This record gives sequence, C-alpha cells and structure tokens, in this order.
Amino acid sequence: MSITHPPTDILILGSGASGAAVAWRLSNSGFNVVCLEQGRWIKPAEYPNEHEDWEIQARTNWAFDPNVRGLAEDYPINVDDSPIDPLMFNAVGGSTIHWTAHTPRFHPSDFRVKTLDGVADDWPLTYDELEPFYDAYDELMGCSGINGDPANPPRKERPMPPLPIGPDGERMARAFDRLGWHWWPSDSYINSVPYKGRLACNNCGNTGLGCSRGAKGQTDVAIWPEAIKNGVELRTDSRVFRVETDQNGKATGASYYDADGNENFQPAKAVVLAMNGVGTPRIMLNSASESYPDGLCNSSGLLGKNLMFHPYAMVSGLFDDDIKTSQGALANMILCQEFYETNFSKDFVRGYTYQVARSSGPISTACGYMFGRVPWGADHHAEFRRRFDNVTVLGVIGEDLPEEHNRVELDPKLTDSNGIPAPKVFYQLSSNSRRQLDDAIANAETALREAGAVHVLGTALLKAAGWHLMGTARMGDDPASSVVDRWGQAHDADNIFVVDGSVFVTCAAVNPTPTIGALALRTADYIDRERSDLKS
Amino acid sequence: MPESEWTMTEADRLVLSAVMDLIVPSSDALPGAGEMGLAEKAEELAGQIDLYGEALRRILDALSLEPSARAEGGFAALEEDQRIAALKALESNMVKHFDKFVDLVYIVYYSDERVHEKVGWRTGPLQPRGWELPPFDPTILETVSKREPFWRRV
Ligand SMILES: Cc1cc2nc3c(=O)[nH]c(=O)nc-3n(C[C@H](O)[C@H](O)[C@H](O)COP(=O)(O)OP(=O)(O)OC[C@H]3O[C@@H](n4cnc5c(N)ncnc54)[C@H](O)[C@@H]3O)c2cc1C
Ligand code: SF4
Repeated sequence: MSITHPPTDILILGSGASGAAVAWRLSNSGFNVVCLEQGRWIKPAEYPNEHEDWEIQARTNWAFDPNVRGLAEDYPINVDDSPIDPLMFNAVGGSTIHWTAHTPRFHPSDFRVKTLDGVADDWPLTYDELEPFYDAYDELMGCSGINGDPANPPRKERPMPPLPIGPDGERMARAFDRLGWHWWPSDSYINSVPYKGRLACNNCGNTGLGCSRGAKGQTDVAIWPEAIKNGVELRTDSRVFRVETDQNGKATGASYYDADGNENFQPAKAVVLAMNGVGTPRIMLNSASESYPDGLCNSSGLLGKNLMFHPYAMVSGLFDDDIKTSQGALANMILCQEFYETNFSKDFVRGYTYQVARSSGPISTACGYMFGRVPWGADHHAEFRRRFDNVTVLGVIGEDLPEEHNRVELDPKLTDSNGIPAPKVFYQLSSNSRRQLDDAIANAETALREAGAVHVLGTALLKAAGWHLMGTARMGDDPASSVVDRWGQAHDADNIFVVDGSVFVTCAAVNPTPTIGALALRTADYIDRERSDLKS
Repeated sequence: MPESEWTMTEADRLVLSAVMDLIVPSSDALPGAGEMGLAEKAEELAGQIDLYGEALRRILDALSLEPSARAEGGFAALEEDQRIAALKALESNMVKHFDKFVDLVYIVYYSDERVHEKVGWRTGPLQPRGWELPPFDPTILETVSKREPFWRRV
C-alpha cells in the first residue's frame, strides 16, 4: 500500500544543478517546497581526495559512469547503440558533485542558429533575456573569472578573480598569443578566494571527484543549506517512478520508492522535473497514462528525442620540461574560442571551444583516459615517463546539432534496483560534428606544437564523454515542435515544468551548466511572478 | 570475484607474479611488478572489485590451459619469449578481460609508494595539502585584451 504525504505547493524531482536552484528561489518567495532525490547526502570526508586510494576510487565506486559505479542509487543505462556513454552522479547535489565546474556562457548567437546559419532552430528567448539569471546563478554558485573577453559580450563583474592559470596555462596562453588566437582565463564555479563561508581552492587537482574543501560550486554546499534554512524539505533515498496526473492531464504529484522499497505518493500543486537530460525523459516516458499514452506531456512526439551530448575530441601535448601539469584544478585554466562561430569557408557549420585541461595521477596516466593506455612490456617505463605529469590537453567542445534519431527511450528489459525501466540511449555522431572535430584536432596540434609540445596524441571521439545531457524535452513557442514553452512549462499541462538540460533547443559549444542554472532560475522567477495560484 | 567458489592456488600466485613481471618489467630503479611482491595486492583488489576479479580469473584460467605451459610444467617455467607470446595471444583473443587485467596490474603497481618515489609523485591523499600556485596575474592578458570584440552580434 502506498504511503501518502501531506500536500506541498511545489514538488521538485532531483537535487542537482537545476533542482536546487528552483528550490532556493521559490522557498525565498514563500512557496512550500519538497524535493525528492534518489541519492543521499555525501559527507566531505567520503570524497576520494581525502583518501590515499583516490585514483582507484575514480575508476570504481566513484567512476563518472553510473554503469561502472553500479551503486544502488544509480540507474543503469543501455549504451549498446551509442558511441558516447552518458555520465552523471546521483546524490544530493547531482552531477555537480562530479563536475569540473568549468562555466562559460552561451554566446548571443547560440540562441539564433536558424536565423544566422540556417540550421536547427532558434531559441524562444535571447541572451539578453537570460543574462540577469546567468548573473544570479554565478552569484549563487560562486564564479571566478575576469571581464574584458573579446569573444563574449561585456558582463557584470564576477564575484571572484580568476583561478591561478599556472605555468602550464601560461605556456598555452602565450602560444595562443603568438598564433594571434583568442584565449581567456576560464570562468569557473570554483572559489579563487574564500566565498560565502566556503574555503578557497588549494589546487589539489582532482576537481572531478567532489571537493572536500567545499571550494567547488556543488549544490549540496552552495545552495542546499540556504534552501533548507528557508524551509524546503529535501527527501533523500526517494526514487521517483511516475508523475501522477488527473483526467485533465494536470499533475497531482509524484509516486516514488523510499529506502525500504515502500511506495509513497507526494501530492503537489505543481511538479518541477530536474533529473537531467536522461533522467527526466526517462521518468516522463514512464509516466504514460490515459491522458498521456505516449509519455507525460508528449503530444508533440518529441519527448526523449533530439538528445545532444557535445561529442568530445581530446588532443594532448606531451612536453619535456619541468612543469608539473597535475597541479591545479583539473579542467579550469584557460579556454580558446577562436573557432567558435560558423566560418562559411569550412565544410561544417557552427564551431567549437578548446577547454585547456591538466593531467592527473600515475594510475590515470598508465591506464589512459584522455588517450590510450601506456603499453605493457619492455617499452612501458620509457613511455610512462614520456606521458607522466607533463601533458596539457585541449578538450574540444563542438556544437552538436539536434537530430530526432538521437534519443532516449525506455529499455524493454533493463531496470534499476527498484524495477523501474532503465533508459536506452540511441546516438549517432553526425557528419557535421565529425568534420568539426577533425578541424579542431588539426588546429589543436598547431597550438600545442606552438606551445612546445614534443609529441601530440589525439582521441578522435572520447567514449566516456557524455557529461552534458541536453535536448530531450526541448522548449519552443509551437506545441507541435516542442515539449515545453519559453518558461519551461509543459505545453500540455500548466502545472508541469522542466528545468534541466532537457529543455535545450541547441547546445552551443560550451559546457551547459550556467545556462541550465540560469534557465532554472528564470522558470522559478516566472512561477513566482505569474503563478500565485500555486502558492498556499 | 564473481564466482564465489574460485580462489587462487599457490600455483596461480606464481603465474600471476610471473605475468606481472612481464606487464611491468624491472626498471633501472625497481624490480618488476611481480618481483616487488605486488601479486598479493592484485589478488586483494580483484577480490573487492568484480570487474577486476573476473578479468584475473579468466586470464589465469586461460594461461593454465595454454598448451606450451602444460607441456613445460607451467607458465612460469616457460622461456621469456614464450611467455610474452602467450600473453600477446591473450591480448588479441580476450580483449576485454586482458584490458581489465592490465589495468589491475597498473593500478597496484602505481599505488605503491616505492613507485611513487621513483616517478616523482607525492604519495598520499590529495587533501588537505593541495599545491601552491602563484595567483592570477592580469598582465598576461596584455596581448589578447588588445583584440577588438569579435563575438557575433544578433
Ligand atoms: C564528470 C562530470 C564533469 C562535468 N563537468 C562540467 C563542467 O565542467 N561544466 C559544466 O557546465 N557541466 C559539467 N558537467 C555537467 C553538469 O554536471 C550537469 O550539466 C549538471 O549537473 C546538470 O544539472 P541537472 O540539474 O540537470 O542534473 P543533475 O545535476 O545530474 O541532477 C539530477 C538529480 O536528479 C536525481 N534523479 C534522477 N532520477 C531520479 C529519480 N527517478 N528519482 C529521484 N531523483 C532522481 C539524480 O540522483 C540527481 O541528483 C559535468 C558532468 C560530469 C558527470
Ligand atoms: S582542485 Fe580545488 S576545487 Fe578541485 S577538488 Fe581540489 S580544492 Fe576542490
């Protein structure tokens, strides 16, 4: 028998980058808010950085890939039909526990790709409309960076100065200068100085595994404490399996399993989905009902479709000097946006960013991540020495265009530990993305050689690179070609909202989370201004 | 290890140690991974993590069936070039398990403090020590700051 809880105004599903922002914003305005999260709180002392075996944990119980971790709070993902594996973390804070917190913004042109380049679709909003919410999310999470970037519009002062770029960042920056290419210190949601009671980063280097100093903008430390103080109830170990609806197709709440496997029902005036670009379509597809035979709010038929990943190529330069490349936040030094916009003389549209990154410890070097494993046998030691602690990586983030055949479906057999159908991901790399990556690989080699790299190794398409999950419940003005409207409100039901990367129309050529956070705050602002009917 | 009844015999341990010496041979500063006594660590880790446990079991099983090893009295008794040839055959026939097995050997080898010292890696957890880096110096922006804004207006 199902346990029914007292009703709330707003029920948020998922506590990561987007869900936390909505919880904080609406609780500030007096809404009653409950958030259901399938994972648990993680204590800072649990993070691998605090342990000697951190590199082993990075490959096992703390792996980026939920299929490798296989923890009870994870759900498996069928990736048989995808050359890229989706990556995520399931806990209070969601994937911000794992993220590297590199936080560039979309460019104004990214919202207008149809008008400018004749591809995909324009967004139903502009950069200017989103800008105040970008600023607010930067403030909330804590952004380090500096004004004056010629590749981006001028903007409000960041709350903190840039992180140190280190001697390796400087070497790369000077190479870009010599080539006449753009570069700029990366915006990062990492504290370069103490910020709002959280410590500054001490450059330990392993940003991607949870920061035990609280220096990284993870929502468990940057947002949740204040939201909880505001009265939000964050219910952990609560795995949602269905959004419930009435005969008019409006949400009545959500059903979930608690830690003991009991079925619970949480009634609410409105439901906000924030389970990320794979988790949200999964639960919406699993919420099919009489009102929604093809999945929740899926009258357009586009739910789960248009999945975008940012296919990644990695180009690594091996140097033979004394600079240690593992010291400093892993992926937060500088970026280059010389090739960001469409260049009509090339054989592809849209462009890419280089995110300059560091290397990691001896196990990652030997087992290989950015490029292949060090060979075993007689050549092992020489090759290890060549690659260890002297690698600078240009990670290529190319703009992936939306295609309906790239999608998330429910797997007919695979389930999570509660028996809820798991997602299956179908993805093919488009020829446009391939040509874009090839161009980026060639230019990266030029830059790395200019910086003095003695060898350059490349990975043409990184498999473990599905960090960015976008597009599967896209926004738009036309209900026939989008799932939610410009405010993230479902076209089919005015009390169902989607706030994660699912709503992206296109994905730009930058990491998505500042944009996800800004959109989430904008939706919350809309609910606060326009939907007083949802407040008790 | 996934097959709970599977345990390693003394003979398996000998083979594992010999194989580890081939995967990571001796260097100028240190003996090979097997000779360093790391087989026990590999066995321990394989016992904790299914992925590596299965790889170890499959590789040792396959080596015990290797015809030349049977004829000669065991893998460890083969000549080095025969041992390498046997491993190369496994590498191409059992790609997935061999891959994980090599990872296992690398993991235990590169977790060892003696190896850290050899390669110049500061051993121990990353926190709370971190690293000192000079703070960001804006003078490095001198060249790029001179560039006219080039973002695309819409
Ligand atoms: C290793 C890694 C590095 C990254 N680096 C960067 C970076 O440098 N810059 C950047 O911009 N982005 C980065 N990202 C991406 C970034 O983390 C995500 O874009 C962001 O966290 C997405 O926010 P979200 O709220 O949509 O989802 P998430 O943060 O993933 O949160 C979703 C939450 O929903 C919960 N959930 C899911 N299903 C259910 C269910 N059925 N019931 C209850 N709860 C559920 C999950 O447990 C999770 O906590 C990285 C991601 C990874 C994995
Ligand atoms: S590099 Fe900085 S932000 Fe990253 S984990 Fe270490 S201290 Fe935290």
